[in-house]
Amino acid sequence: MKATGRTTRRRVLAAGLAAAAWPARAGARTTLQVAAFPLVDEIVRAALPAWRQRHPDVAVQIVSRQYADHHTAMTTALSTSAHLPDVMALEASYLGRFSLGAGLEELSREPYHADRLRDRFVRYAFDQAVNRRGAVVALPTDIGPGTLLYRSDLLARAGIGEAELTPSWEAYVEAGVRVKAATGAYLIANAQALKDIVIRSGIGPGEGLYFDRQSRVLVNSPRFARAFELARRVRRGRLDARVSAWSNEWAEGFKRGTLATELSGAWMVGQMANWVAPQTRGLWRAAQLPERTFVGYGGTYYAMPRRADPARKALAWDLIRLLTLDRERQFAAFRSQDAFPALLETHDDPFFDEPLPFLGGQRARVLWRDAARRIGALEVHKQNNFADEVVGTELDNVLDRGKDIGRALADAERLLARRAHR
Amino acid sequence: MRPRASLTAALRNVRLSPRWAPYVFVSPFLVLFAVFGVFPLLFSLWLAFQSWEPTSGLDAMEFVGLGNFAFALQDEWFWKSLQNTAWLALASGLPQHAVAIPLAVLLHQGFTRLRDVTVGAYFLPYITSTVAIAIMFSSLFSTDFGLVNATLRALLGIEPVDWLGRPEHIKPAIAVIVFWRYLGFNVVLYLAALQTIPRDLYEAAALDGAGRWRQFWHITLPGLKPMMFFGVTLSVIGGLQLFEEPFILTGGKGGADQAAMTSAVYLYRMAFDFNDFGGASAMSWLLFVVVVALTWLTHRAFAPRRGGR
Amino acid sequence: MNGASRLAPWAAYALVGAGALVMLAPFYFMFVFATHSRTEIFDLPPPLWFGSELPANLAILTERLPFWRNLGWSLYVALASTALTLLFCSMAGYAFALFDFRFKGALFALVMGTMLLPSFMNMIPSFMIMDALGWIDEHRALYLPGAASAFGIFLMRQYASTAVPRELVEAARMDGCGEFAIYRLVVLPLLRPALGTLGLVTFIGSWNNFIGPLVVMRSADRYTLPLALRSLQSTVNTEWGALMAGSAIATIPLLVLFVLCSRQLIAGLTAGAVK
Repeated sequence: MKATGRTTRRRVLAAGLAAAAWPARAGARTTLQVAAFPLVDEIVRAALPAWRQRHPDVAVQIVSRQYADHHTAMTTALSTSAHLPDVMALEASYLGRFSLGAGLEELSREPYHADRLRDRFVRYAFDQAVNRRGAVVALPTDIGPGTLLYRSDLLARAGIGEAELTPSWEAYVEAGVRVKAATGAYLIANAQALKDIVIRSGIGPGEGLYFDRQSRVLVNSPRFARAFELARRVRRGRLDARVSAWSNEWAEGFKRGTLATELSGAWMVGQMANWVAPQTRGLWRAAQLPERTFVGYGGTYYAMPRRADPARKALAWDLIRLLTLDRERQFAAFRSQDAFPALLETHDDPFFDEPLPFLGGQRARVLWRDAARRIGALEVHKQNNFADEVVGTELDNVLDRGKDIGRALADAERLLARRAHR
Repeated sequence: MRPRASLTAALRNVRLSPRWAPYVFVSPFLVLFAVFGVFPLLFSLWLAFQSWEPTSGLDAMEFVGLGNFAFALQDEWFWKSLQNTAWLALASGLPQHAVAIPLAVLLHQGFTRLRDVTVGAYFLPYITSTVAIAIMFSSLFSTDFGLVNATLRALLGIEPVDWLGRPEHIKPAIAVIVFWRYLGFNVVLYLAALQTIPRDLYEAAALDGAGRWRQFWHITLPGLKPMMFFGVTLSVIGGLQLFEEPFILTGGKGGADQAAMTSAVYLYRMAFDFNDFGGASAMSWLLFVVVVALTWLTHRAFAPRRGGR
Repeated sequence: MNGASRLAPWAAYALVGAGALVMLAPFYFMFVFATHSRTEIFDLPPPLWFGSELPANLAILTERLPFWRNLGWSLYVALASTALTLLFCSMAGYAFALFDFRFKGALFALVMGTMLLPSFMNMIPSFMIMDALGWIDEHRALYLPGAASAFGIFLMRQYASTAVPRELVEAARMDGCGEFAIYRLVVLPLLRPALGTLGLVTFIGSWNNFIGPLVVMRSADRYTLPLALRSLQSTVNTEWGALMAGSAIATIPLLVLFVLCSRQLIAGLTAGAVK
């Protein structure tokens, strides 16, 4: 094929020019290149002393870029097979896309045998790194178990306890009505967040979130209709503050106590305590998501590019094992960056029983540990990002422009069907 | 860098005939284009006919003929992005020139002492980086406590507007920001051009009894024509390729109902969010055709004089 | 008519002045935010006057990034880019404006054509070229490729076509001046205002560019400023105060340059009454 021929010619030219241009770099010491983004780069940096003990003659160079820039750079590097790092950190939402292609090294083979490591990790996190062909392409290092955070004081004023909030999504919304009436606080920042979670409950086997294995569109279904109806009920009852996550108004809502609950990953507690709303310390509690929905919010993985320099692959694998399988490293990351460990053997540590001051002394880590084990892995389809947008836009049409739910879902289905096989 | 210096020195001693001179002068552009411009053009043209999952590497391309073009032409979002682009290009572009020309004239004729400072003030937005702009404007346009809404309420008693959240508002917000950013740039261009209009033309006209308005219409505007052609072409091209402001202000997504998703933003998303490089290439070439057509129309409208006077 | 033109100037000046203030406002806020902490910036209503967190923000900035090195690199790349662009674009613009030659139309169309494709579509092929040349992580990959920019050539052509009289060039030629001498001694001085403008615009463009460096740069201590500042932004934990301080500092050289260039511009303009 033309592309390959050109590539070969260019490789020869590159080799010649590189040899001429970089004589100084051909040293005897090996250097591993790790590509990451904040704050994973800090986690890797913190592991360097331990690495130096194992491999004193192997240096590690960390190339850190902003989150989106990093993934763009990784896409570029993988697409041209040039300047690939030896280890790349990937966020969970990007892993799906990257695992669909053939760019990542398959770790289930010799000499890695990563499939033998399945039982050492939180199940869904490991499964998320298994691609369509059944090969493991990455190892998880941290996870984001989904949790419900609520203001116990606001709920108390409305005479509601956790038990009324969580039996079902409908009950959650009803509780919101009562909270609004009694305290004036919104139930949730945005009805879109509610839709995002409710569509994740009731997924059948062989189904992904928006598409099934044969790329059929699943959007025009009861699962979505229910999510849309609940979101509409929230919007009509003025139960959501209509602010987008991470915006000024959103943070302000937490600071002023106008937002009563938040559906997010466990790491949100750390963010709230640090800068979003530190003054609301002690007023929040954590619970499992309503209707026993178990969902993951983000997470980080380490992978190796298939076309990286083979001479360093064994070392790269060693580094990945250090970062993911070493109890000390997992805990260090947990303590310093609030990175919830994916390694199961850390989960029996007394650290999990510690009370969290922000949550009024609640031992929430136990809750999250429990949730982590029950989350199910979701199949990722190439067009998931696009589907996210389309469904979100149609929901906006339903919420703001009074569009009929049936028509909205049908329109979404039509748009998605056109792209499902690209 | 050293090879080039000795080349220029050598050329200084060589007698260059007027016949070859223009080619020599244009050669740096040609060389750079040959090395850095041709391959990306050909690559992207080639890619427009392929289906490509980028992370699998270069050899994963599959020929799909006109499939990407057909997809693009039937894609609702492609047409939506073109509409958004047209709206934003006009809404931000026209005022830029409509305001920049009178402003430049005012600054040119009056304002002799404060001119530097005033022009500087208008030019500052052009200098500001997009990161800073994103943060500042999301604060300024904030619904409940942004200064824009506060000012509107104070001056006109308007209820707070959700600028960044609602599709119908985000377009004007972005148009305002683009206008803010490039007005000063156009003022500087027109100021430079106003200097090339000889003073005696104005003096002669004044002697003939022509008032300010007639002088403006019959001397200034025609004199500004080459610069207007330049400025308007840039605005057309820039407007059609509008990327940074909508991208940064909507966090890379294009806003609610994709209202701020210009064609350039959509292309970026096709390539890096939806990993559809083949589709993105096909669309960029379709967009290219549109831009060429509009640039040509602009050219016809202004019909610049060839070869000086 | 006379009465109206006596009132109008004051109203005009007031309007222009008010406009200038509006132009300045966001800029002002950038500097104000640079002196506040992260939580203060996102207070609603936002702070209107300077705070006291500038030293703290600077500390974070220099701790997280090799900030001054990045600043230095940005300066180097921008200066190189500007010098080369002024040279190449004035040459080509002069040629298009004052010569008639075969292929002139086609070549100019080619120049314009290069402006018409969005730059990020070039990311992957550019990466391949830089890799083949061995220019990954080298700064010349940032200032060389775009040195003969279509924008610059276009600007120079438009300006030269009105500012440089053909008769002058012909006269110099008849006096026995070589082509390069004509370019250096006759044409360039006449192009000063446009050179000032182009230099300023190129410098700013290079200074604020982050897509080029994103593709090519790999070591943090070789980054230019925009890329370095972007790396301060994480998904949830951005140090906004430090970021604003960094952005504000990044703007200062551009301000200085603008002040210098505008003097040059004006000087060129008043001396440019050559007709």
